[in-house]
Amino acid sequence: MALIQEIKVPLLSVNDTSLTIVDILVSNGMEVKVGDLLMIFETSKTTYDLHSEFEGFIKILSEKDKDYNVNTVVATIYSTLEETAIILNPQALAKTPNKPEDNFKENTINIKSEFSGMTRFSEAALILMDELKADTSLFEGWDMVSKEDVESVILHKTKDNKLTFISKPRANDTKDILPENVYSQPLSNNKKREIEYLSAVQGTGLISTVYINIDTTNIFGFVNRQMKFLKNSLLPVIIYESSRLLQKYKLLNGFFDDNKVYYYNEINAGFAIDIDNGLKVVKIKCSDQIKLQEVEEQIFTLSEKYLENKLSVEDLTGITFTITDLSGEGINFFKPLVNKYNSAILGISSIDNKTKIQILSLTFDHRVTEGKLASSFLKELKQRLESYASTDNNNIRPDINCYRCFKTIEEDLSGLGLVNCITPQGKEGYICSSCWNGH
Amino acid sequence: MVSNVSSINHKIIKQALTIRRVEETFLHLFSLGKLNGTVHTCVGQEFSAVAFAGQLEKKDFIFSNHRCHGHYIAFTDDVKGLLAELLGKASGTCGGIGSSQHLCRSNFFSNGIQGGIVPVAAGFALANKMKKNAAVGIVFIGDGTLGEGVLYETMNILSKWEIPLLIVCENNFYAQSTHQSVNLAGSISARPEAFGIKSFEGNTWNVADLMQQAKDAINFVRTESKPAFFKCDTYRLNAHSKGDDDRATKEVDEYKSIDYLIKFANEEPEYYNRFLIKVDENINRMVETILNENDLPIEQYYSADTNEIKNTEWKEISSINKRQVELINQFFKKKFEIDDKLVFIGEDVLSPYGGAFKIAKDLSFINPERVFSTPISEAAIMGISNGLALNGFKPFAEIMFGDFITLALDQIINHASKFHHMFNKQVNCPVVVRTPMGGRRGYGPTHSQTLDKFLIGIDNVTTVAINTLIDPTIILEAVYDEAHPVVLIENKVDYGKKIAQNQSKYFSYKQSDDRYPVVHIKPATSAPTLTIVCYGGMADIVANALEEIFFKCDLKPEIIIPTIISDTSVLKLVKQCVEQTNKLLIVEESSSYASYGSELLAALMEQISFPIKVKRIGALPVPIPSVKSLESMILPTVERIISDIKTCFL
Repeated sequence: MALIQEIKVPLLSVNDTSLTIVDILVSNGMEVKVGDLLMIFETSKTTYDLHSEFEGFIKILSEKDKDYNVNTVVATIYSTLEETAIILNPQALAKTPNKPEDNFKENTINIKSEFSGMTRFSEAALILMDELKADTSLFEGWDMVSKEDVESVILHKTKDNKLTFISKPRANDTKDILPENVYSQPLSNNKKREIEYLSAVQGTGLISTVYINIDTTNIFGFVNRQMKFLKNSLLPVIIYESSRLLQKYKLLNGFFDDNKVYYYNEINAGFAIDIDNGLKVVKIKCSDQIKLQEVEEQIFTLSEKYLENKLSVEDLTGITFTITDLSGEGINFFKPLVNKYNSAILGISSIDNKTKIQILSLTFDHRVTEGKLASSFLKELKQRLESYASTDNNNIRPDINCYRCFKTIEEDLSGLGLVNCITPQGKEGYICSSCWNGH
Repeated sequence: MVSNVSSINHKIIKQALTIRRVEETFLHLFSLGKLNGTVHTCVGQEFSAVAFAGQLEKKDFIFSNHRCHGHYIAFTDDVKGLLAELLGKASGTCGGIGSSQHLCRSNFFSNGIQGGIVPVAAGFALANKMKKNAAVGIVFIGDGTLGEGVLYETMNILSKWEIPLLIVCENNFYAQSTHQSVNLAGSISARPEAFGIKSFEGNTWNVADLMQQAKDAINFVRTESKPAFFKCDTYRLNAHSKGDDDRATKEVDEYKSIDYLIKFANEEPEYYNRFLIKVDENINRMVETILNENDLPIEQYYSADTNEIKNTEWKEISSINKRQVELINQFFKKKFEIDDKLVFIGEDVLSPYGGAFKIAKDLSFINPERVFSTPISEAAIMGISNGLALNGFKPFAEIMFGDFITLALDQIINHASKFHHMFNKQVNCPVVVRTPMGGRRGYGPTHSQTLDKFLIGIDNVTTVAINTLIDPTIILEAVYDEAHPVVLIENKVDYGKKIAQNQSKYFSYKQSDDRYPVVHIKPATSAPTLTIVCYGGMADIVANALEEIFFKCDLKPEIIIPTIISDTSVLKLVKQCVEQTNKLLIVEESSSYASYGSELLAALMEQISFPIKVKRIGALPVPIPSVKSLESMILPTVERIISDIKTCFL
């Protein structure tokens, strides 16, 4: 007879000090087995299924659609059904024979009585917290926190020994006078966290954006041949090339905090997806170390996971540089916003149909670097991307043909190539020298 | 030439003859292998015993030495008890534990340490004087004892305090095998005279005179209530012990020719033989019976007692806004009001001075008859306290500096600690000796050392160290109730500190409900990750450094502070704690080798089967320097503790 487990709100993402319970799949007193799905949490980036690690009878201590801080006990599992009721009525416990309190305590796992004072951190813990950018509020109710505590609470649970972050929601004290004739709707947790996350860098106002034109002419001939799935998209190439460039531009692969510039030890480019399941930035780990084809494969896999809502915390954390691709949205250019714990973000706008020009924008944290370096990065990226067209000389594109005689460029023996033109129907097309000369 | 034998009471002659025949029986039994150990016979000296011990009253007392059989028989008439004692039987005077040199029955005590019994006898006599019971006492010494310093410490005090004790110096001219001419300077009688002690003389060859002279001396002590010294010339006809006799036969024969009993045998053979047959019959009958008796069973002598703390009830420690010195002083003030058994004794303890550390402040104003300011005589202070304790008082001896306790160690080790057991539990010696240890005041090598290690291993002495986390009153009350000797170690730096101050809210402070409470400080809610054991003066230093230790070492410390250090009373608690933390640090102000920490670790290792990391921190093993910079490097400091924790546990 004992308390077998206290189920606490897990620390899933370094950004989330609280999670929302979106569903509870068991009811009070229900017998649960190992692996049973107990409840579903929503984080700022994904949902998390909580499965039972033990067998026993469950007592729910939480409600659906409510926010709970990490480490809050939301349910308990007992060895007997009676105990789930006993705990509701503590007096009953004392009166129940054969349930000595000592025994009860001994079998309890992880009961930590609350400490009401300010938490004290050891020097080593503070250094680690600082490295991790972890928020001290995570340890509210602790008397003392050692490095080991930080490691077990933050690093162990996230299974990420590199870098993890906890951010603290900032209180918004200023209340403006609201205009009349309005109605309000509370922000979703997702949106709240997004705001907080983006405010970290943008909130300082010290950001700037530089833009550059990419001539995409002839790029896709080569690129599309390399790609299995993502035809007519520069995203894989841009991820591939910018990741490699970041090896040189380390300042863009870091972040600013506490009057220090932090550099990441590895390059994990993230790309934003927003289809139907909300905006997510997903990570391609060590994106500077993998082949172009692998980049594409990862984009594809991660997108699939996104659509199937199967993204893991690992997929969503530890992004060192973000790329946001709005090329499918038909916009000319835009200014992306830098994420927390990043120093820059690269935006991809749509390709102009006529000019084949695509605008890349790089927003950067001016506290970390300045326009010159950002410009230099963009210029180098442009050269790299455009070189895909020039390296295309030996690979004749089979898809180009004359709109009049349908002769492909391969079949053209004139040695002059085809001319880009506007067809009588007003569409873009090509014409061979024979047709152009009226032959 | 015919002596005046006929003028002597035959009862006296019979008594002397009994003593001689008993001792000769011992030698015979020894040669038969029936007597364990050794015997020091007084053959030839019997009339000293008869004259002095035989003429005391029942309420009087005797302290004797290694050559004590005669004194014992003359004072107690308990021949059977003595025979059984030397034959090692349970029915012996001391159950066979003490044998020849360590006897105790009805105000008769003997011990085998030369000179050591003199201050004890003085204390016993002082107690009688305070009781105003007109009892007097005799302490027997030999001329060999004149080489012992504690004798003179005591003679000085005896005279100054007018203690009614008669010192009988049986001057047999030999210290073991060495003649007096080799070892003794000056005159024997000039010694007591120098102290202003009335001196008497006599010898065992003129028995009638001796009987009168002894009576006169005893009467002087009783009526004047003052000490006296009696030089009784005599001669030991046998060896010091048994085979160790290199004296010239001629010399021995000369003394034989004047020996009273031999002369009596020659001059009154009819009487002598009648007496001899009767005495021998009596002795032989007793020996026959005794030889069939049993030895003392071990259970009656030794039982494995433990001071292990209960470790059940723990209560919060509340701070007391009073300095430790005030609380100790207050304890004595209150006790003096309600208990006239309390005696406070030490150097410079009279008020207004009130002792070097002011523990005795105003005590002599409150109870001038129970506060004794002594000369600089640590051995005598301790010995007199032992005697007071044996005679119904509760003495608290103060040794001004812990370093000086070495001067009193013989009294603690060979007397206080042994009395109860060697006298087969017939007496208790509830003496207490208090002394401040510790450095950090720049007093230098002989006023700063922590000598606890020499005091924790004395069997049957409870050694207790107070600290600033516990109200010393609790400890003193427990000590006050002890039936056996206690060494109470204080710390001179702690005296000025208030109790359980500056408690950190990150830790919980608990004390056990034992008579000698143990302090357990642990993290408020977290599980500790480092177990520290410290005591005495170190407790205050470590307890105040807990937050710093945590901050710098990244370990959540818990401290266990025992008060009893002569026993690993916290063993189970420590074991329980290191099962969780696997790290044990022991911090002591003494050097680490052969210390409390060593004992605790050894005992712990006997109990556990899991691996732990351990570290002892103590003073570096050199005399404590006076210069501040070096003193703080020699003694354990917070800085050293932190650096050692980092080195050993991280």
